[in-house]
Amino acid sequence: MSKVLSWQGWLVFAALAALPLTPWMSKYYLLLAFDALLFGAVALSLDLLMGYSGLVSFGHAAFFGLGAYSTAVLLERGVLSLWLCLGLAAVVVGAYALTVSYFATTRRGIYFALLTLIFAEVIYTFFRYTQTFGGSDGIQGLPPSQVWSGVAIDTPARLYYLVVAYLLLAYLACRALVRSHFGQVLVAIRENEDRARFLGYNVQRYKMGVCMISAVLTGLAGALYPGRAAYATPDLLHWSISGEFLIMVMIGGLGTLVGPIIGGVFFTVLQEKVSSYVQWYNIVIGLVLVLIVLFVPRGLLGFRHALRRRPGREAA
Amino acid sequence: MSQGETMLEIAGVSKSFGALAALAGVSFTVREGEVFSVIGPNGAGKSTLFNVISGLHVPTGGRIVLRGTEITGRPPEVINRQGLAKTFQITNIFPGISVYDNVRVAAQSRTPVSGRLSSLWRLPDVEGPVMGLLDAFGLTARRGDLAQNLSHGEQRYLEICLALATEPALLLLDEPTAGMTPGETKEATALIRRIALDRSLTVLLIEHDMSVVMGISDRIAVLHFGEKIAEGPPEVIRSNPKVLDAYLGGADE
Repeated sequence: MSKVLSWQGWLVFAALAALPLTPWMSKYYLLLAFDALLFGAVALSLDLLMGYSGLVSFGHAAFFGLGAYSTAVLLERGVLSLWLCLGLAAVVVGAYALTVSYFATTRRGIYFALLTLIFAEVIYTFFRYTQTFGGSDGIQGLPPSQVWSGVAIDTPARLYYLVVAYLLLAYLACRALVRSHFGQVLVAIRENEDRARFLGYNVQRYKMGVCMISAVLTGLAGALYPGRAAYATPDLLHWSISGEFLIMVMIGGLGTLVGPIIGGVFFTVLQEKVSSYVQWYNIVIGLVLVLIVLFVPRGLLGFRHALRRRPGREAA
Repeated sequence: MSQGETMLEIAGVSKSFGALAALAGVSFTVREGEVFSVIGPNGAGKSTLFNVISGLHVPTGGRIVLRGTEITGRPPEVINRQGLAKTFQITNIFPGISVYDNVRVAAQSRTPVSGRLSSLWRLPDVEGPVMGLLDAFGLTARRGDLAQNLSHGEQRYLEICLALATEPALLLLDEPTAGMTPGETKEATALIRRIALDRSLTVLLIEHDMSVVMGISDRIAVLHFGEKIAEGPPEVIRSNPKVLDAYLGGADE
């Protein structure tokens, strides 16, 4: 196994860690950076599924939103421990993902994607119309979580460092995964699922495995969200959010891990900036996305994908 | 060849697709260490037979026993782990990854880490067996190329490498020389024979090309409209009147 992270990688994370020390990082920009990196982490998790396993999920908003609601429910009841919030999110999202993936992996291609969408819509509808969870208002006015008793994550800088730490860990986990035996089999399944079966691989087990890993990583990111927004609403579970996650992965570059992180950051910042100037920001964003698809169809980091296919011995 | 133990027993295997009986009560036994071929005109049920043995189709009737374990109707991944590997008539590889990675992912299937939790962060070292296979099939120089960029003949060899990398006891070859030139066919036949001997493999072969079958097989079974009409060593099959009739007049029936 190679180094944990390349020197370029460490440099990027060192720069991210130093960012709040620069004078122009106001509270507003720290929170924007939080969102950008959080959605970068979500796009990274989705890339495991789309880029490496060839499975398209239209339901990742459900994993994200369930993670957010898990935290919200605990914070609302005065359980402030960040670790309990993350733990509950992992359990809830893991259980839900087990159910979804068990059924969805029995189908392929568009049918897989539609099943993830249908399950996610059920979750959306449930939270939208259940008063216990606040119905359409969601759960509002939440206190910040605490790393340990008395140390609350209540400033933009602390939130920012929390998301940088999560992104680093999630990236290292995904990177180790795609280089492992498991990750190599996923690529084989993406390339030719039937052949993988004839080589002795239980394809459904691998697919369920990667679905659950991707879902739990997305859910953990979701669990960090109420700490910043002080709410969890059904909007987080909406299918249009799943669509945005897909777009982040596509514009960043499928199957590159780093690309989707950049895609998530790019999309989030673009959306925030454009929407602060014009009401019809979606038209501008749409136009930018069309241009990206036309001129860099493999995504901003698509060239890395080609580079990864070098001779076997050195290959990751 | 020595007459070894029973490797594969096919007992009264039938397979129907709706009203069409693709296989009707086919029985034969493949012994350890031999090259056993199944021949027959187009539509005789050869590929269906292979698909039933390898787990793609569930047979309508009959039993299939591999090395003493019944595998009838089991899924392909389970049958492969019982020691049976199959190559495909139409090349079936991993097109978008390198030749080396193709064979590596196949070889990984037999490492202890496969299926364990530690497979999430470990990558087993299979360089030795992978390079051995690539060397044997003359693919070493192309190991870094994408599999989809290989020539047809090279892809046919890669196909066999994938199957062999799972260390089978029984290798099913479905028309391995399909689409090859006569020169390539001759070379491939010799290579398959040599590798089968080196690895003490049992081979079950489907082949169209009679010259390949006659040169390589210890015994031959002939299928015709889903039924076995003859079985025996090449010289017996060559002069069997029913076989000659099937091949020359079979289209009329």
